[in-house]
Amino acid sequence: MGAGTVAPPDLRGRQHPDRLFTLLGKLITVLEWLASGSYIRRPQAQPADRDLQLVVDEVRVEASDARSFRLVAANGTELPRWQPGSHLEVLLPSGRRRHYSLCGDPADRRCYRIAVRRLADGGGSQELHDSVEPGSILTVRGPRNAFPYAPPLVPTAGYLFLAGGIGITPILPMVKQAAVEGAPWQLVYTGRSQASMPFLDELSELDADRVQIRPYDEHGFPSGAQLLEQAPAGATVYCCGPAPMIASVREAFPASAATALQFERFTAPPVIDGEPFEIALQRSKRVLTVPADVSALEIIRQAVPGVPYSCQQGFCGTCRTRVLSGEVDHRDRVLTDQERADSMTICVSRSRGGRIAVDL
Amino acid sequence: MLRRRNTSGYRTVDNLVLTPRDVAFDWTSLPTHWVPGEPFVTHTINVLHLLLPAGERWFVDVFTQALPYIKDDKLREEVLGFIGQETIHARSHQGVLDHWKAKGIDTDPYVRQIDWMFFTALGDRDLISKRREEWLIERLAIIAAIEHITAMLGNWALNSPALDAAGADPTMLDLLRWHGAEEVEHRAVAFDLFTHLDGRYLRRIRGMTVTWPVMLWLWVRGVVFLMRTDPELTGRRKKARWRYYFRASRRHLLPPANEIVRGVLRYHRPRYHPLKEFSTGQAVAYLASSPAANAAAV
Repeated sequence: MGAGTVAPPDLRGRQHPDRLFTLLGKLITVLEWLASGSYIRRPQAQPADRDLQLVVDEVRVEASDARSFRLVAANGTELPRWQPGSHLEVLLPSGRRRHYSLCGDPADRRCYRIAVRRLADGGGSQELHDSVEPGSILTVRGPRNAFPYAPPLVPTAGYLFLAGGIGITPILPMVKQAAVEGAPWQLVYTGRSQASMPFLDELSELDADRVQIRPYDEHGFPSGAQLLEQAPAGATVYCCGPAPMIASVREAFPASAATALQFERFTAPPVIDGEPFEIALQRSKRVLTVPADVSALEIIRQAVPGVPYSCQQGFCGTCRTRVLSGEVDHRDRVLTDQERADSMTICVSRSRGGRIAVDL
Repeated sequence: MLRRRNTSGYRTVDNLVLTPRDVAFDWTSLPTHWVPGEPFVTHTINVLHLLLPAGERWFVDVFTQALPYIKDDKLREEVLGFIGQETIHARSHQGVLDHWKAKGIDTDPYVRQIDWMFFTALGDRDLISKRREEWLIERLAIIAAIEHITAMLGNWALNSPALDAAGADPTMLDLLRWHGAEEVEHRAVAFDLFTHLDGRYLRRIRGMTVTWPVMLWLWVRGVVFLMRTDPELTGRRKKARWRYYFRASRRHLLPPANEIVRGVLRYHRPRYHPLKEFSTGQAVAYLASSPAANAAAV
């Protein structure tokens, strides 16, 4: 608080500074003075190592292009506990990082199970399929939970589980838990074809009346409303699948009989219709190239680790950055026209063509 | 209902990933006294809308400055999630202030003072090097203390059926409970950040010692101000009285004083940690059903 900073006028509209706020300002100045002495013997922030080295214990073919991997601790000790919906971050030998949902039994504290679909363009999934075998060591972080299964312990209405393809992985432990608890539930499981859908064998052990297997090649591609038809009044819906499936369910949800919707919160949705462009960081004097399918934030983060961001979807505005030159293709839904004149959200917005210079 | 044992009917959720939720609130049909016939209860809760837009923007400011000091990736991710959630909170409460302004209720004199407190008195103060760092950490200790209180209030909001029974406006209840649930969800972040960068007991307690009296004072002042400004109250009804508070808290329309005092005292336990109280499972269950969170753009 610089000299000459006076408290604002009081609440009754008199023009002199509010006496109590003037006093408060002085007390805060005393606090700052006290704080300035606290550097003596202040403990230093300690770096945290959260990596787990796990051994691949078993690899199983679960569908035409999906495999599951069972991971255990090298010395057989208990692993950190987790609840349905949790995932692991796997650090692959190539340096890639991928998130995979835990799909085993949370009560079995000695092993984790993840399942991976081999994607044509997914370097991470190919690496897991081709070079990871029983005995391989994987470095993982977690578990973390971005899709919590958290209905009240005494359920008031049933659950509807919606899974699309490999999206069955977080849903599987939820369904098994609901089945054990005896709450009313339904599962609708979609996928390209029966042969491509993992864990059909494990699902066949459950109550067949509650499980609907709907491959697209037999039943067609269901709309969000069709998927939600099964929802009993007051139900909680748990949905995991490809982005268009989640979007269609979210859109149809308000008109359905269900009252709660839980879906995996992807922090960074895929870039749509992106073109590569260059971004110049004026203060760090660096020029970075942003590929067509990656956000500017993703690239800038590697150069400027402390850059603030949060939603990665263009609605919170945390990553708003001052633009010094260049034409911006604004893809957020938070900035006003005035703000767009001199800044951009680097998490979603891109260039209209040509280099953008930002104040970073 | 501020205590843990009343929220035990929910599941354990560990290691929750924090992300902001986009929300949409429509205030066009909000009545002035949104708890019908209860102007005192309405305005006591309304003080939130006066304090939070500035307060939460200040949290974001201070947390953003702390980002480069964090040496733990998991904590950094949680801080980033916290920053996004607080930004959306500030914006949502600002929406209520804007609605009042459009209706001709002028809260500027009060809000000006709050802005001054957060951004001038508690602002950066043009400090450099060591002093700048210590002032940053001191403010993190204050935020950790405030977050303990907001988690307590958020937990109360999630467990306040008396407000539904009193016919309170459903959109405003959803704002309070969505916000309250996210406060419960991220209740450990500020504490963990302070612990990571300093963590000394006495400094943590200094944060709470300066926080609660100022918060209480601002709250009382805010209720008095809002009652006086309320165009629908006349004469003696414009006056706020302590007995109104005790009467309302006995009817569970406001959090009871003894539970607030006990909650603040719990923060003084050397082994206190925010995750030892309240239920992440309950917060998450509410958020899945929040109309505002489900109504936002897909």
